[in-house]
Amino acid sequence: MRRGARGDGVSGPGPLRVVGQSVRRVDALEKVTGRARYVTDLELPGMLHVTLVRSPYAHARLVRLDTQAATGVPGVRAVVGSGDLTGCDPYFGPAFRDRPILAIDVVRYEGEPVVAVVADDEGAAAEAAALVDVAYEELPAVTTLEEALAPGAPLVHTAEPLAGHFADLSTLRAKPGTNICHQFDFERGRGAAAFADAHLILEDTYTFPRVQHYSMEPHAAVAAWNEAGELTVWASTQNPYSVRVELAKMFDVPLGRIRIVVPLLGGGFGGKTYAKLEPIVGALARMTGRPVRLALSAEEAFRTVRRCDARVRARLGFTREGLLLAAECDADFDVGAYADIGPRIIQKGTYTATGPYRVPHVRLHSNAVYTNTTPGGAFRGFGVPQLAWAIESVLDEAARRLDHDPVELRRQNLLAHGEEFAPGDAPIDGKFEESLNRAAHAIRWTQGAAADRGRGVAMMLKASIGPTVSEAIVRLHADASATVLASAVEMGQGARTVMAQIAAEVLAIPVGRVFVATPDTAVTPYDQTTSSSRSTTMTGRAVQEAAADVRDQLLHVASGRLGVPAARLRLEDGAVVGASERLAYPDVLEERFGMGGGELIGRGVVAPGRSAAPLGGSTPFWEMAVGAAEIVVDEETGAITVEKYVSVADVGRCINPLQCEAQDEGAVLQGLGHTLLEEMLYERGQLLNANLVDYRVPRAEDLPRVLECRFVENADGAGPFGAKGAGEGSLVPVAPAVGNALSRLTGVRLRELPLTPERVWRALRARRAGP
Amino acid sequence: MTRLRPFALDRPASLEEVGALLAEHGADAALYAGGTELLLLLKAGLLRVQRLIDLKRVPGLADITADDGTVVLGATARHRTVERSALLRERCPLVAGVARHVANVRVRHVGTVGGNLAFADPHSDLATLFLALDAELTLWSRAGERRVALADFVRGPYETVRRDDEILTGVRLRPWPAGTVSAYLKFGVHERPSLGVALAATIGPDGAVAPARLAVGCVGPRPQRCPEFEREAAGRSVAELAGRAAALAEAAADAVETTGDLHGSADYKRDMTRVFVRRAIEIVAARAAGEDPHARYPYTVVV
Amino acid sequence: MPDIRTPSSCSLALTVNGRPVTLDVPAHALLLDVLRDRLGLKGAKRSCDIQVCGACTVLVDGAPVSACTYLAVEADGRAVLTVEGLADGERLDPLQEAFIEHGAVQCGFCTSGMLLSAKALLDEDPSPTPERVVQYLRGNLCRCTGYRKLVDAIVACGAARGGTA
Repeated sequence: MRRGARGDGVSGPGPLRVVGQSVRRVDALEKVTGRARYVTDLELPGMLHVTLVRSPYAHARLVRLDTQAATGVPGVRAVVGSGDLTGCDPYFGPAFRDRPILAIDVVRYEGEPVVAVVADDEGAAAEAAALVDVAYEELPAVTTLEEALAPGAPLVHTAEPLAGHFADLSTLRAKPGTNICHQFDFERGRGAAAFADAHLILEDTYTFPRVQHYSMEPHAAVAAWNEAGELTVWASTQNPYSVRVELAKMFDVPLGRIRIVVPLLGGGFGGKTYAKLEPIVGALARMTGRPVRLALSAEEAFRTVRRCDARVRARLGFTREGLLLAAECDADFDVGAYADIGPRIIQKGTYTATGPYRVPHVRLHSNAVYTNTTPGGAFRGFGVPQLAWAIESVLDEAARRLDHDPVELRRQNLLAHGEEFAPGDAPIDGKFEESLNRAAHAIRWTQGAAADRGRGVAMMLKASIGPTVSEAIVRLHADASATVLASAVEMGQGARTVMAQIAAEVLAIPVGRVFVATPDTAVTPYDQTTSSSRSTTMTGRAVQEAAADVRDQLLHVASGRLGVPAARLRLEDGAVVGASERLAYPDVLEERFGMGGGELIGRGVVAPGRSAAPLGGSTPFWEMAVGAAEIVVDEETGAITVEKYVSVADVGRCINPLQCEAQDEGAVLQGLGHTLLEEMLYERGQLLNANLVDYRVPRAEDLPRVLECRFVENADGAGPFGAKGAGEGSLVPVAPAVGNALSRLTGVRLRELPLTPERVWRALRARRAGP
Repeated sequence: MTRLRPFALDRPASLEEVGALLAEHGADAALYAGGTELLLLLKAGLLRVQRLIDLKRVPGLADITADDGTVVLGATARHRTVERSALLRERCPLVAGVARHVANVRVRHVGTVGGNLAFADPHSDLATLFLALDAELTLWSRAGERRVALADFVRGPYETVRRDDEILTGVRLRPWPAGTVSAYLKFGVHERPSLGVALAATIGPDGAVAPARLAVGCVGPRPQRCPEFEREAAGRSVAELAGRAAALAEAAADAVETTGDLHGSADYKRDMTRVFVRRAIEIVAARAAGEDPHARYPYTVVV
Repeated sequence: MPDIRTPSSCSLALTVNGRPVTLDVPAHALLLDVLRDRLGLKGAKRSCDIQVCGACTVLVDGAPVSACTYLAVEADGRAVLTVEGLADGERLDPLQEAFIEHGAVQCGFCTSGMLLSAKALLDEDPSPTPERVVQYLRGNLCRCTGYRKLVDAIVACGAARGGTA
């Protein structure tokens, strides 16, 4: 794949006009006026409403289902258990098809959907749901990694599930007879044998909590089958094409007969990747012959998806000079009751466990472990936060033991621009030292902090998903406006605006004259997924190429008409211009079509394909960010206040600087969530705090007094105009930066998150009590 | 559940009518004012009723008045009204100040004092503060009216002595006399407070504390006064109080009942009680000296 | 036992965004659902559903309320303002402009609640300090922005005009 750089033919010569500008978001007006439409705002004629009856037990056999009373409630159209779901494959899942639409024989987590009630209105559905009578026989449950991995532990799944639809997961490796559904191994050099040569070896175990995305908009979907046997689902989903594949298989219908439409998402953060509600609404819509709507409550979202908690044992070996020699990691990820994309998460997180550093000898292993809890799924960072929490903390401990400055220790170990990370994968595409230096400078690292303040720093590295496919179409209309067809989902990150800017730049028309269509698999072409920080780089590249295709057509037609070689023409202000010639686009189209109609259609395809890289495809870019925190601690209560936080992310180029900054500010606060505040609490398999009174997400008052999110832009990415991905990186260093600051300030090293006041208080007391 | 099950809504214009409705419908009816607690219970399915009896049209029930040295908060007075009440700002400024920090601004506009007290959420500011103001609740029923000390009103979490046929009509507070210096500290990370400390020291012309009032709430099943602390503090000068703050706070914390829950373990809460009682003493001592330290602590509101 | 399925119907007369509205609603109807489903005003959103997050905020006689936990009947005789009533035709309210200018809008789901809460704040305190804004927004959650630009936008709006009309 071509590397982007200015003047490479795709971007064109000369300064950029709209790319790199903080243009207004194309969806801002609709959002501030309340006109923005989300799935829950949709109303279809004859639409029915669904309420789900959920399991109160973590693990139980379904003994008996009595739906008679429920069916008798006026307005109820159907009361459905798994036995009623004939005519479709009841299982789905991207890695394993292990997740039933409605529980079959067994429930595997508290909150698992067992029965669906479909009614004319939500009130009737809820009333009927309360009358559904389910008899359960409780089974022993495993709700922690310890329990699930104990020898002889009860098994969450007893049968071998079918593999899901992803190529990179075709080699799923369960450990039979255990709750381990996938394992990942990665070795480099001599692996663990190299520790024998290390001057200093440190080993420790860190845990990362169960946390939930809390998108402001809970999951929702509306489904309707038409007379031609075609299914349309309006879904709050991040990957319409993945959902389409899932449903096509489920209902045994050709892909072209499944249409997924994605209006705006009220947040996603990974929690809306892969099928979640679409199977059940699709099935119910088919059964009832009516459009069917399911809108989860916030409490139900906690019982749909969450981040995989993890326990990571990390071991690092250093030379006397402080160079990393060897790294060993054993990570257990709790993927909950159904694997969702867990197997890929453990791979992605573990692959870059060693972060942005050069480590010649590495042995990494991770397990994806089933437990009887809410299924774990993708969440911003995708396994990397869990590993970085451990590694960056151990690294700081090593700095202390080696009497090295933690920034200096990192600096001397950084991978260099162009260096290989792993054989077959893309080389490092950034100058990481620049980010580290900028962060250190911004936090005034070399100047002593006040006595009551502590500073900590951390870095991260993440590979994006590969291989993937992104396709886009750009249509230039006769009035010189354009439509972009691309399936990047707008979930707040500004994807639609970025696509508009890219097209506007290449076509030399105003951003306001570019319209980005709503993702719709019947209209907008294939895009793998809106996740993995990939949309600007990959979908954006496809849009860029599609626009360039249109540009080439404009130049070609104009060249013929003007009698000037295309190489001596360029696009400017909605016209093809030469040294002294100018032909406005409407005139170019008129020339092309011989009339005042028609449009120029451009196509872009970005499909780097598989490679020899360990994860099956080379990463299209490396995501790297640095975090530096300055904290104070109220030692009497244990409360940590982050006074100042600096994030520096190496993004190649900010297509829209203000939106990049906005994204990273959000990432930092979300990181502060799991660092200081958030934790899903289970007791005997019951989720105790699935609501905002008892689950504490960051508020405005949690904003650090000083928050700086900055970017290194060396135009060294493979994306449009040298862009790389952004939006996940800055979340990852938050926890280890704060943990490192805490350690440097108080001498206390905590290994579990969140760093609640009580946890810090307890550790401080233990420190005072002495060894 | 995001929708409510159907119910009828009665809007009686007098207490007698309320009483009659309660007599007629019993447990099928619930008293309703702001609804900020009640509607959540109904949504969660923890309570099921056929009708709501709206108290907001009963005259006088929302009034804030002075009555013979007492300040009376009508049960249906909104937190927002309490916050802005000129009478309270003059006679019980701490009450007005604490009302400003209950929940969030929307709950303050809609929620009522009576609803808050009748619900008896252990994680609540008002009950703690009112305890330090020797609050008495008036309970009206067709059988008559009675007054119950707040300390006796709250039995435990979400449990009060209010009978099903009784309506909480108001809270009577005994404003602290002139020369009282006070502070309210609330601490907590979560949505509801984890700890509330109300401290008031009335300083006599001889500079001695007479009396001190200390209430601690949110850490146990009910808000608690600290009689031993109050005994120890009485008769001392403010400077002495400040000098012995750590010891006094420790003793108070040891005497308080704490329960472990989402907000923390019992021993953490006990230690936080110690910390914040001491901090309250320090702030009160500074205020007595005419200074306001503008103390700030993380996750803490100082009123 | 009365048939609780027969809604206890109430006649409401109120103004919504300056326009008079009359409709019959059952006693148990929540203001959020009446606004969204009966009046087609979809701007107010249902998120936490327990009065914590503020996504459902509307103003009733200028006071911010959680429409998700507020009976529609309580709005009888009152003036309700939703996000759809902020702009004057195509002319945006300064707060709306400020949100766009400052990059304070991402997924947009919290936006209408934020705007109305900010309006209520500026109506009461025309030039709030950042600390005051942060304190006031205790009841308005956002998962996307990290709050920095929201606070900046509201402070800037306050400083510029001393409040909204």
